[in-house]
Amino acid sequence: MSQPTKLSRRNFLQTGTALSLGAATGFANDMMRFNAFAADVSGYRAIVCVFLFGGMDGHDTVIPFDTENYNAYANIRRELLNRYEGNEGGSTRERSRLLPLNLTNAADFGGREFALPPELGPIHDLIDTGNGAIVSNVGPLVAPMNRTEFQNRTVPRPPRLFSHNDQQSVWMSSEPEGARFGWGGRIADMSAASSGNPDATFTAVSASGNTVFLQGENVGQFQVGNNGPEEIRGLSDDDLFGAAALPGAYEDTLRSNGINLSNLLQRDFSNIMDRSIDANRTLRASFQEAAPFSTEFPNSRLGRQLQVVARIIALRSTLGVGRQIFFVSDGGYDTHSNQHENLPRRHAGIAASMRSFYDTMVELGISQDVTQFTAADFGRTLTINRDGTDHGWGGHHFVLGGGVDGARMVGDFPLPISDHNQDAGNGRLIPTTSVDQFAGTLGNWFGLTDSELDTALPGLQNFSQRNLGLFT
Amino acid sequence: MKSRHSQQHLRPLLLTGLALLAAACSDTGEPASQSTTTPPPATGTPPPSTGSEITPDDASEFLNQATFGATNDEIALVQDGGYEEWLLAEFDKPQGSFLEPVLLVEASGTDAGSDELTETFWTQSILGEDQLRQRVGFALSQIIVASFADGELEDRPVAMANFMDIVTAGAFGDFRQTLENVTYSPAMAIWLTYLQNQRADEEGIVVPDENYAREVMQLFTIGTLDLAPNGDLILDGNGDPIETYSNDDVTELAKVFTGLSWAEESRFFSRPSTNRSEFLPLVMFDEEHSPEEKTFLGTTIPEGTLGDTSISIALDTLFAHPNTPPFISRQLIQRLVTSNPSSSYVGRVADAFRTGSFATPEGRTIGAGTRGDMRAVVAAILLDPEARDDAFGAGIQYGKLREPVIRFTQWARAFGVNNTSVDNLNIVQDTRGPDSLNQQAYRSPSVFNFYRPGYVQPGSESAAAGLVAPELQITTSASVTGYANFITEFIFDDDERTQFAPDYSTELALASDPAALVDHLNTLLASGQLSDGVRTQIIDAITAITEDTNDFTRDELRVRTAILFVMTSVDYIVSR
Repeated sequence: MSQPTKLSRRNFLQTGTALSLGAATGFANDMMRFNAFAADVSGYRAIVCVFLFGGMDGHDTVIPFDTENYNAYANIRRELLNRYEGNEGGSTRERSRLLPLNLTNAADFGGREFALPPELGPIHDLIDTGNGAIVSNVGPLVAPMNRTEFQNRTVPRPPRLFSHNDQQSVWMSSEPEGARFGWGGRIADMSAASSGNPDATFTAVSASGNTVFLQGENVGQFQVGNNGPEEIRGLSDDDLFGAAALPGAYEDTLRSNGINLSNLLQRDFSNIMDRSIDANRTLRASFQEAAPFSTEFPNSRLGRQLQVVARIIALRSTLGVGRQIFFVSDGGYDTHSNQHENLPRRHAGIAASMRSFYDTMVELGISQDVTQFTAADFGRTLTINRDGTDHGWGGHHFVLGGGVDGARMVGDFPLPISDHNQDAGNGRLIPTTSVDQFAGTLGNWFGLTDSELDTALPGLQNFSQRNLGLFT
Repeated sequence: MKSRHSQQHLRPLLLTGLALLAAACSDTGEPASQSTTTPPPATGTPPPSTGSEITPDDASEFLNQATFGATNDEIALVQDGGYEEWLLAEFDKPQGSFLEPVLLVEASGTDAGSDELTETFWTQSILGEDQLRQRVGFALSQIIVASFADGELEDRPVAMANFMDIVTAGAFGDFRQTLENVTYSPAMAIWLTYLQNQRADEEGIVVPDENYAREVMQLFTIGTLDLAPNGDLILDGNGDPIETYSNDDVTELAKVFTGLSWAEESRFFSRPSTNRSEFLPLVMFDEEHSPEEKTFLGTTIPEGTLGDTSISIALDTLFAHPNTPPFISRQLIQRLVTSNPSSSYVGRVADAFRTGSFATPEGRTIGAGTRGDMRAVVAAILLDPEARDDAFGAGIQYGKLREPVIRFTQWARAFGVNNTSVDNLNIVQDTRGPDSLNQQAYRSPSVFNFYRPGYVQPGSESAAAGLVAPELQITTSASVTGYANFITEFIFDDDERTQFAPDYSTELALASDPAALVDHLNTLLASGQLSDGVRTQIIDAITAITEDTNDFTRDELRVRTAILFVMTSVDYIVSR
């Protein structure tokens, strides 16, 4: 993307204040990164991305609670709130039923107050007890931008705004569909290099299929099934072929052993097959020994994914990994219609599953070392289409874990009205916190140095606040 | 007030469905015929003089692109009559219906659901006579996506099956008409939430739902970036791609798709009271349609224009957009032939889309000569040198991963499966999971299909070479295991199953000669694309099977093992 002069000037101005002298002035090199500024990879730390496909409506997730703003919100959304009243048990968007947030940084928001819907009770508890925080109005940005700059196109925009597949990719990688590397993978690249453990099979693990988020230039991703590792039947079932030599021959054919492949799609497929056979085999051996948790997980898609992640974390010593990044997901957030029925159900689902995961980490004694966060394609419009909302941009997200400096909300929270200075139209929020700042904060907690963060997150240098201060 | 919209191309099919439904009501107990039986057309014309000899491998490759799987009989037919004769015969075959079996179940007093939708797909894909239409329809269903993963569509299988018929008719139809049929289909309106979508209120505090407006542009017609006639990106002065529409275009176009609701119901907010409402085109309630001026993509619909006219102008605009021919053509090539077609290949197919006409290698003209005639597009895709000439297959960037659903139908068709009932057979009722096929027809998780046409496999060699690889999106460490175990179950565990039961008699006759057996399977399943090394591995493996077991004779084991090895080898998985 071309960058106008204004942005370049901004880069220059920040160079003076940034700690990352190397990267910002263009002198970063591998020697500096890996020696003088190597990532802290002591102990154990894990990041778990809970991606909410479809784009969760932040406006219906963190709700204005002081009377004035609640009323403004309820006015704009009255047709939707009317539909909530038809839900079984009545509307959970009645002010009296919301769960107020007792933020330790309430002063940052003047007299404004905020609440979560009751379906998010288990997450509200974590925030209240200091084990969770909210990052408000976060989303992809090239550089800070307000409404005028958006309309006049004086600051570059992230590509393909409001498009599901592209914004999923931009959130994960800063590039639209077709990206090859994501920031989870790039952060893992840095920690894996510093740990001297480049054989990083279990450094980046997805329980939800392929994802650019986890892909680094060196660190690849292992995708685990919802029920844990599986093995190809003919390799383990001695009786299938009726001949002792056959499982070995089958493995040779599956892996193209001894076959010279030149076609690139064949080579890619064969690499996936190799990783699958090797990693599943390793993981199966450890999985069978592991003791079960006493914490129960919901029997939902997300619950099963998070349970598998927890089981892999429990095996961290056996697997020899000190830094891990995981990807799980939930779907159904594209609430153009029937938001009043669908969103509360989804909220209850993520709250229960993420709470079970947190409780399991407490059980394992590592809740300080494991952080979950939510992310999504985008937030949604404040304006409704009667029973739903349309594609937006910035949204509000949760960061949960014992290491979080909790009971706080970080970032600006635009007023629940139209036509304010961060409104891209119909209450599509122009983010006030960028994904790069959010990722940089997580990366810092993960142990990366400032110069490593600049390498992993090239967009970070366009923002003066490099760390959101989410962790104690 | 209310106007009836016509789905021209579907009329005959619907009437057939209704006639059958009537017959079913009076004639209880008669099982539904599983497919339309049309005898293969007589091949009276002499074999083409221009084409060179079509080998069994050539014919198999063609059929594995054009159908749900080659069979020995079809290979012989293509070898005998040539590709073009085969295509022309397919164009004339009547369309098998997804809807009829669903209506019959409903008429019997049982509520149909996902199992009936699943079964009607397996039946048409594996047993249907109109294989080319069905296969191209499946390809089109991955561009114009609706899915009964949606709870309401699972509960309205009549609407869903009607949509499946609309898309499948679109395989040989006029693209503009298909776009209209889709827009007025209850299933799409449920899926993309414009059913009973209303105009903005007077305060402007409530606005029309933008869902369909956005996705009909992004996914069904023009895409997000300006394209040259050959599908290449058009770049601006800075070398950046140019976005085709802005969010303002979306909010304006959203006003167009207001006012539609169920047919044959008196009120806008009625619910469908009969199955007919679920398969008839939606109707316009003009009082609910946005009367405002609507400006998008350089087109202005004047204030006060009636709803059906507004939709017609909007669809005309999208259909006439220069992006539409290459955008649709490239994706269909990706579904049928290769993931990374050359620009010139895309250009040739897009030309066929624009002109509605394709001049074949044998001197025929296919298509009516009107923009969007899909018969011309299909012929252009399948008869192109890049699809037919073996030289391309040697390229390291050529080819595509076979879709998991098609691997399974290929197996079923190759080995004569003739019972596609899914009753009590969980493994074929839901194949969405990574422990299964990681794909199910008409049951994609979102409107973005199982995989994206622009998907790049993160960190891969194909990505480094600048290639897309759509099917790699559903190829994971979990799903490669899932597929192998899925197909193993079908290949080996058929002792007590009458459903999806294979007939291996042809193969058993070859089992005492391992090389002959593997060569036969190589042609039938892999179109002769097994490398010498893989071929030798498989021959050696089955030669090592020398004893009967408790479950199988030696020959039965050899046949099953050879099929499994072929169907899990990389030379099969990636077709070239």
